[in-house]
Parts: sequence; C-alpha cells; structure tokens
Amino acid sequence: MSGADGNKSSHTELSSQVFLDLVDSVIADVASECHRVARLGLDRDLEVVEEELRLSVEARAKVADPSNNLETNTKFVVDIFGQTHPPVASEVFNCMNCGRQIVAGRFAPHLEKCMGKGRKARAKATRSTTAAAQNRYARHSPNPRYSPYPNSVSENQLASGSPGVADEDCTNGTVRENVKGG
Amino acid sequence: MKHSVNRPPTPDKDDAAEGFEKDEVTLREIINVKLVESGEKENLMELVRDRLVECGWKDEMRIACREHVKKKGRKDVTVDELIRVITPKGRASVPDSVKAELLNRIQNFIVSAALCV
Repeated sequence: MSGADGNKSSHTELSSQVFLDLVDSVIADVASECHRVARLGLDRDLEVVEEELRLSVEARAKVADPSNNLETNTKFVVDIFGQTHPPVASEVFNCMNCGRQIVAGRFAPHLEKCMGKGRKARAKATRSTTAAAQNRYARHSPNPRYSPYPNSVSENQLASGSPGVADEDCTNGTVRENVKGG
Repeated sequence: MKHSVNRPPTPDKDDAAEGFEKDEVTLREIINVKLVESGEKENLMELVRDRLVECGWKDEMRIACREHVKKKGRKDVTVDELIRVITPKGRASVPDSVKAELLNRIQNFIVSAALCV
C-alpha cells in the first residue's frame, strides 16, 4: 500500500511535469503566432491607422490654431525640400537697362525709375510741360495697364478719362473760344 | 549466511534524493515515449488547446504578447523573448478545471502504462 502511495505521489509529480510540458508547448505556439503577426504587421494595422489619425488631427489643430502668428509662420516655414524662403529675395544681378548691380528684391522699384514706367517717374519727366498736358498723360497712360482689372476700376479710369477727354474738348473749346474770343 | 543478508538495501523514497531524481528523469522520459508512441500525447495536446481557447486563456496570452510588442517595438521582438515573457503568467493562469481534467487523464495514462510495463 505504501508502495502504491509512493507511486501515487511520484505519479502526481510526474503528471504535473507532463502537464507543464503540454502547457509550455501551447505557450510556444501562441508566442510564435503573435511574433509572426507582429513582424508582418497584420494585427497592428488598426493601431497604426489610429496613430496616424491622431497625428493628422494634431497637425490639423496646429494649422487651424488662430493664436499662431501666421505671418511669421509662412515666411519662415520650411518647404518639402527643406529649403526656407526669406521674405525678400537677396540675389544680386545686373539690370539689363542701365547695367547697374541691383538686389533682386529691389528690382521692381528700380525698374520703375530706370525705365520710366512708373507714374511718378514719368510725371517728373513731364513736369516741365503744362499742367494740362501732365494731367492728360497721367490719366491716359494708366489705362492700358489696368485692363485686366475688374470693370469698376476701368470704369473709374474711363470716368477719369472722359472728363479728361471732356477737358480736352473743353480746353480745345476754350482754346477755340479763346481764339474765337481773341 | 543467507545471501539475502548481503543483498543491498531496497531503494526507498527516503533514500538519497539524487538517485530518486535520476530515476524520475528516466521515468519521465519513458512516460514521454509511451505517450508519443500511443498517440495519447497528440490527444492530450488537442484537448489542452481546445480547453485553453474555450476559457479565453489563449486570448489573454495574445493580449499580453501584443502589449509587449507595443513596448519593445514591432521589429525587435523575438519568439524566445515572447515565450519568456508570457510563460510565468501562462502557467499560473490556467483555470483549475482544465488543470484537473488534464492531470486526471495523464495520471490514468501513467497508471495504465505502468501496469503494462
């Protein structure tokens, strides 16, 4: 009997060992399966998508945030190639009209003076002539340039132009009248 | 003098523990071989797997694995690492009913195997 009892206790221990072996095998199976899923990224798709969603929401909130100083942001922002664009172009080159060295950022105002396209520059040049001639020129020259502008502006120009024309007529009239008068 | 006097003492479980353990190891091997040969091991494996899936143990282990993977990063994990992480928890969390059922079946097998020896 004692022998049987002894056997039983060793049996219990033995069967526990066998049982643990079985459990270890199942654990190894589960670990292997999870490892495969993890490395292939099968199960994680949900979480990856969730994370990406979160990041995009964060980014959107940042962009929409009104407290951000948008002007400084747009000026010093980095583009997709990693380049920054300073607000004023700093390259220096030679003006093709006068041959001087001009900073690119100041080229437009320079051209205005240089080529006489600007109102003020031209007005300066014709200041020596009569005031009427000066008015006429100031009203006529802007017209062709402003053609792409909306109708209201061109209408204004025309409106200012027509009095000019009228003025012309008037002046002519007055001149004529003057002549006639004279 | 009777030869029985000179007979070496019958090995007892109170005797040198090392001897007992050595016997146990070989006994374990013997039982293992018998299990495999008779096909009982395969049956037991299937039974264990079914029971552990039913009771949700497998899902718990998979969650634990996923947590570990999340911590360590998807690319760095090895199978050995995962096994090392979940084995203590896995062994401890087997439901008692499952354990009892399995132990019962194994013991029956051992007894019947011992009888056949």
